[in-house]
Amino acid sequence: MSEAPAVALRGLTKAYGDRTVLRGIDLQVARGEVLGLVGPNGAGKSTLLRTLVGLVARSGGDVSVLGMDPAPNSLEVRHRTSYLPGETGVYLQMTGAQFLAFALGFHRRIDAARRDALLAGFELPLHARVRSYSAGMKQKLALVATLAPDVDLYLLDEPDRALDASVRLFLRDALVALRAAGKTIVLSSHHLAELETLADRLEFLHDGSLIAAQRLADARARLRRWTRVRLRAGAALPPSTHVERRERDGTLVVETEGDPLVWIRSLPADTFDAVECGTSRLEDLYRVLLYADRDDRGGAP
Amino acid sequence: MIAGKTWREIRWMALAYLVVLELLAVPVILLWPDIYPDLQRSTLLRNPGMDWVKRIGDGVGNRDEDVAYRAWCAIMLFFRSTNLVCTAGAVLLGTGLFAREREAQTLEFLLARPVSRGRILWQKTWPTAVALVVPIFLVNASAIWWSSRIEMELPFAETMRASMHAAAFTLFFLATTTWVSVKCRVQAHVAAWVGAAAVLQIGVYLTQRIRPYSLFRLVDFDWYAPLLAGNLPLRHMFDPTAGPAFTSWLLLGASAFWFAAWRALRRLEP
Repeated sequence: MSEAPAVALRGLTKAYGDRTVLRGIDLQVARGEVLGLVGPNGAGKSTLLRTLVGLVARSGGDVSVLGMDPAPNSLEVRHRTSYLPGETGVYLQMTGAQFLAFALGFHRRIDAARRDALLAGFELPLHARVRSYSAGMKQKLALVATLAPDVDLYLLDEPDRALDASVRLFLRDALVALRAAGKTIVLSSHHLAELETLADRLEFLHDGSLIAAQRLADARARLRRWTRVRLRAGAALPPSTHVERRERDGTLVVETEGDPLVWIRSLPADTFDAVECGTSRLEDLYRVLLYADRDDRGGAP
Repeated sequence: MIAGKTWREIRWMALAYLVVLELLAVPVILLWPDIYPDLQRSTLLRNPGMDWVKRIGDGVGNRDEDVAYRAWCAIMLFFRSTNLVCTAGAVLLGTGLFAREREAQTLEFLLARPVSRGRILWQKTWPTAVALVVPIFLVNASAIWWSSRIEMELPFAETMRASMHAAAFTLFFLATTTWVSVKCRVQAHVAAWVGAAAVLQIGVYLTQRIRPYSLFRLVDFDWYAPLLAGNLPLRHMFDPTAGPAFTSWLLLGASAFWFAAWRALRRLEP
């Protein structure tokens, strides 16, 4: 008999009174997979993660986490998962060491090597009171408390919040190691470039719904034809060029028909300082999906 | 672990509460020899408009000093100190149990730990209950010793029985506050709601015709004086077939509020 998927959702709905936060989410996450949840604030990412760990009761649909329904089996689900809340609260009156002893004391198994590696990488002053920690240090502490338990599924709501770039890289390496150990990770993040390098798969959540796979594929196909060009002073592109947008540093994002290299070769040699093509960025995809959504509603981009 | 954390959070408040209770008890005992003659001479307490004040006056001004002293302790140690300080203590310690976690955004973290919500409630409640109840017995036990310093006697069994009743009243207030603490998001709101309810109850108590409807009727002089005088056996405190069983009603009320708190916590979404 095959093992149940780590997460299986069918028609998951969550409403708070008249406000529907999740609208019929269908989603499956295989064991050992890393799923990235992407979406603007208020899209429903945190509610989705809370539902998986049984903190929030669903209004409709079916939820299976590690083969269990978290509503009646919330305690067992929490024994086999580790959840990092988005609004990370840590006990300010405790020292870092006391907080970790408290947080990890509830779990059946702790991976001591992973805990020590995280602590070494994060360089936390464990004997100082948490109230003296910066926001980033508190986040690091919460991350150690979340990643050190040896469980099957890690649910991380914006784990890179308040972390600087170097720490985010360290965290990414730690999550890659978790993935290599066969653990399943579902995480949300607003650092899209890093998420793209970590996740096996991305799901875009917007206004409580997952963006359909076909729409995502269309957007990706469209992005592949994009080229980014930084023009020299005084230079201009041919009038027929479709400029998608101008970025803050003056770089133009151009939509081309067919192979972008052919289009680049057709430009005069002294037109541009730099050119990039052939790779779509997650930020672009995100923007296209959101713009498309606004266009669908008849609003301005 | 949660119990240890709760204890670390409340230990200084619990100590302050114990000290305040003791500081209120000692002078009323040590000053008794000076106060008693004044109470005997006082006609003000004997002719008030309210029956219950007259009963207090008759008690503390009794010609038999032992009777008067026990009435004095009933009014000062129990009716005044435990009602005032224990209610305030229960509200102060109880408000933070869950509302403080919500304010500090730690509740979601706590609820996400692999521990049942019933266990969270229990492990937060029992250290708080112990911190509130034990000082009542300690301070009243110390009152027995302080009484011996002025050559008066407070009987141990009766004093502990009265302390038991005061503890039941305190637990009732703690349970009420715990329930409100689960329901409210802000600690100050919990204190405001429970404080308002307590003030309303005191107002009802001080209004002659509706006084029987006040909760404080269960913990006033008319209850503590017979307890300290040895006129109310243990069975009358707990068995409804033998007596008013006010202690049982208070414990039953406390249990009902803890049950309500447990149900509210089970449904709570951070």
